[in-house]
Amino acid sequence: MEKVKLIIDDLALEVDEGTSVLAAALQNDIYIPHLCYHPALEGRGACRLCIVEIDGSLATACRVEVEPGMVVRTKSPEIDQAIRPVVELLIANHHITCRGCPSSGKCQLQKLMAQLRIDRRRVRRLRVPDEELPLDTSPPCFDYDPNKCVLCGICVQTCEDLHGTSSLYFLNRGNETRIAFYGDESRCASCMECIKRCPVGVLMPKQTRSTD
Amino acid sequence: MSDSQHEIIVCQGTGCVSGGAEQLYSLLQKELAELNLSDSVQVKGTGCHGFCQRGPLVVVEPEGLFYSKVGPDDIPDIARSFLPDGRPVDRLFYYDSTIGRTLPCYHDIPFYYKQQRLVLRNCGHINPESIDDYIESGGYQAIHKAVFEMTPEQIIDEVKQSGLRGLGGAGFSAGQKWEACYVEEADQKYVICNADEGDPGAFQDRSVLEGDPHSVLEGMIIAAWAVGASQGYVYVRAEYPLAVRRLKIAITQARERGFLGKGILGSGFDFDIEIFQGAGAFVCGESTALVLSIEGKRGLPKLSPRPRTTQYGLWGKPTVLNNVKTLANIPLIINHGSSWFASRGTEHSKGTAIFSLTGNVVNSGLVEVPMGTRLRDIIFDIGGGIPNGRAFKAVQTGGPSGGCLPAELLNLPVDFDSLTEAGSMMGSGGMVVMDQDTCMVDVARYFLDFTRRESCGQCIPCRVGTKQMFDILDHICRGQGRPEDIDLLEELGKSIAETSLCALGQSAPNPVLTTIRYFRDEYEAHIKEGYCPAGVCFFYQ
Ligand SMILES: Cc1cc2nc3c(=O)[nH]c(=O)nc-3n(C[C@H](O)[C@H](O)[C@H](O)COP(=O)(O)O)c2cc1C
Ligand code: SF4
Ligand code: SF4
Ligand code: SF4
Ligand code: FES
Ligand code: FES
Repeated sequence: MEKVKLIIDDLALEVDEGTSVLAAALQNDIYIPHLCYHPALEGRGACRLCIVEIDGSLATACRVEVEPGMVVRTKSPEIDQAIRPVVELLIANHHITCRGCPSSGKCQLQKLMAQLRIDRRRVRRLRVPDEELPLDTSPPCFDYDPNKCVLCGICVQTCEDLHGTSSLYFLNRGNETRIAFYGDESRCASCMECIKRCPVGVLMPKQTRSTD
Repeated sequence: MSDSQHEIIVCQGTGCVSGGAEQLYSLLQKELAELNLSDSVQVKGTGCHGFCQRGPLVVVEPEGLFYSKVGPDDIPDIARSFLPDGRPVDRLFYYDSTIGRTLPCYHDIPFYYKQQRLVLRNCGHINPESIDDYIESGGYQAIHKAVFEMTPEQIIDEVKQSGLRGLGGAGFSAGQKWEACYVEEADQKYVICNADEGDPGAFQDRSVLEGDPHSVLEGMIIAAWAVGASQGYVYVRAEYPLAVRRLKIAITQARERGFLGKGILGSGFDFDIEIFQGAGAFVCGESTALVLSIEGKRGLPKLSPRPRTTQYGLWGKPTVLNNVKTLANIPLIINHGSSWFASRGTEHSKGTAIFSLTGNVVNSGLVEVPMGTRLRDIIFDIGGGIPNGRAFKAVQTGGPSGGCLPAELLNLPVDFDSLTEAGSMMGSGGMVVMDQDTCMVDVARYFLDFTRRESCGQCIPCRVGTKQMFDILDHICRGQGRPEDIDLLEELGKSIAETSLCALGQSAPNPVLTTIRYFRDEYEAHIKEGYCPAGVCFFYQ
């Protein structure tokens, strides 16, 4: 495969042609905030967190392919001002109880908070949802926690990618959007890939819940 | 009034029809027949005159007599006025409260004579269900000229030269868009007319479709000839049944006359148009969501960066998507030339702007003025100012995500760029006037309530951010604001505008950011002093 040379944060890198800027950075241990990206899937550009400066203008790194001579900056005051409030909004909207959370330790949101050194005092300025939503236990293969879902869409995209059509879909719109299961058990191949790939602790295998 | 040929126009637009105008139309025909006047007096139905507030409207031509708020009981008198000894029904004349005079004629009414109607040229004058009426007023000449006298390149050049910018909101150069589609190599291309009009206060697209559907079809046919498209769609809101009905009639008539279908006007050019009735969500009006919706998928904005619709549009084919008003301008530009069109407007915004003027204003309705007309002229000269002796406070332009501009900006010449610079936008062409008794925090809260409900939920900043801004504004309006809230709203607003995926999220903070920019003291009064200067918000702690 052809190689492409580019510069990310003053580092000269060489990656495979067709790689996204986000993947190129992550492969070289440069962290760019992201929630809706998974290496096995095409970048969706939905979480809006991977915004970087490419050749002088802001763009989502997961949706842009590397090009020879590209110059990328992953950190700048402008990027921080754009992204930080979005992460804070997300945290305020997320039911954070990391202790006991099945995701804790491998959670992309935890990682994001640590990397951006999120200041809890700033988050406290925001209003939090007044009600906690019940766990959705209706899907045949997993339980779903709407209070923690970031709606990255990785589960939906994974199911579609692996099985042709997705048994998972987005229900409702706006802030009411949820992930829902379509049809009955027979539509689920029980591959459990959606659970594995969920970046936060939202999809839980049926059996672990009883030990909670 | 006596025997010479008269025409009585009974408005059959949505506004007047809901006031009973269909009944007026048939009653009038019956009365005239009974008086043996059917031969000398013609009754004609037209689309909206833009002044629905005074409807149902009846206009008598050639005098231009203007009867407002006509009811069934007035019909016998109107009919009798055409008898040899008849007299105009002066109790139905329009009374202009701003100048304290009764004005019998259309042309004397400030609401009309200060406008310049290009896009609305035929609305209220021709029968939208008659192709002959349209042709008589100069219609379908542009299509002849385009197909037989001009090459696609010349047409695109003419449209580019005219400076016409898309009137659907974004203000992108129509000619450049067409060129981008023209240069694509493809076996199939499409032209789509965006008639989704999701802004609840705007009705100019509906009025054009109801009042002059052929002008939009003609614009689409010319676009198709220029870019090489063979199929067109009009994406129209299902809630616009009258517009759909008139469009259907217009399409059938245009096919019969050879303006649509195979070998248009005997040339080798094929093009046909279908109507697609839209699903309803506001966000479906966004170009990529609209395309997905026609394809039968869920109408969500496509993730970005993405290829342009002109390259990869409907069914993956190069597609031109234009707003109703943009397309209705096209026949004029072809007929009269680009320099005629470009002679009105400002340096970077040519032609006219069309607003749905509403709110605390004496005359509400559809207003078409040259780009660059001052806000003051629209609100005070055409709109007649603020009713009940109250003072002007603010005007919100561009629909639910437009900004609120204060009295200091009343001299602002209105065009795409000046509005954007002031923190607002042209958007859907909504224009809501607010008087002294309006609370600007409450207004921002109201608009954010709309956008948070209409957010499609795909991307985090818009989905979570509009909800958060709404919650904060709601708290402020309930007396639960915190000192840091104003800075917080500004910080969030800028970030949401910067990071959101589509223009809905990118523009949603406008009402918040502009009310803070121009009316910061009202926010402070709510938060620090615990009172609402306009006396709108109740504080139940
Ligand atoms: C949320 C949203 C709603 C929109 N609704 C409409 C609409 O109802 N009608 C319209 O013409 N354009 C609408 N637009 C703008 C379209 O995306 C597009 O820019 C326009 O139709 C292009 O036509 P024009 O170049 O003639 O303006 C909307 C955009 C957004 C982001
Ligand atoms: S999903 Fe992540 S951030 Fe959320 S509670 Fe679990 S571990 Fe914490
Ligand atoms: S369940 Fe998990 S993978 Fe699916 S959208 Fe929510 S956070 Fe993303
Ligand atoms: S900005 Fe709002 S409406 Fe647009 S894609 Fe994002 S969530 Fe959907
Ligand atoms: S990772 Fe790029 S937008 Fe989510
Ligand atoms: S519908 Fe008659 S004036 Fe608008």
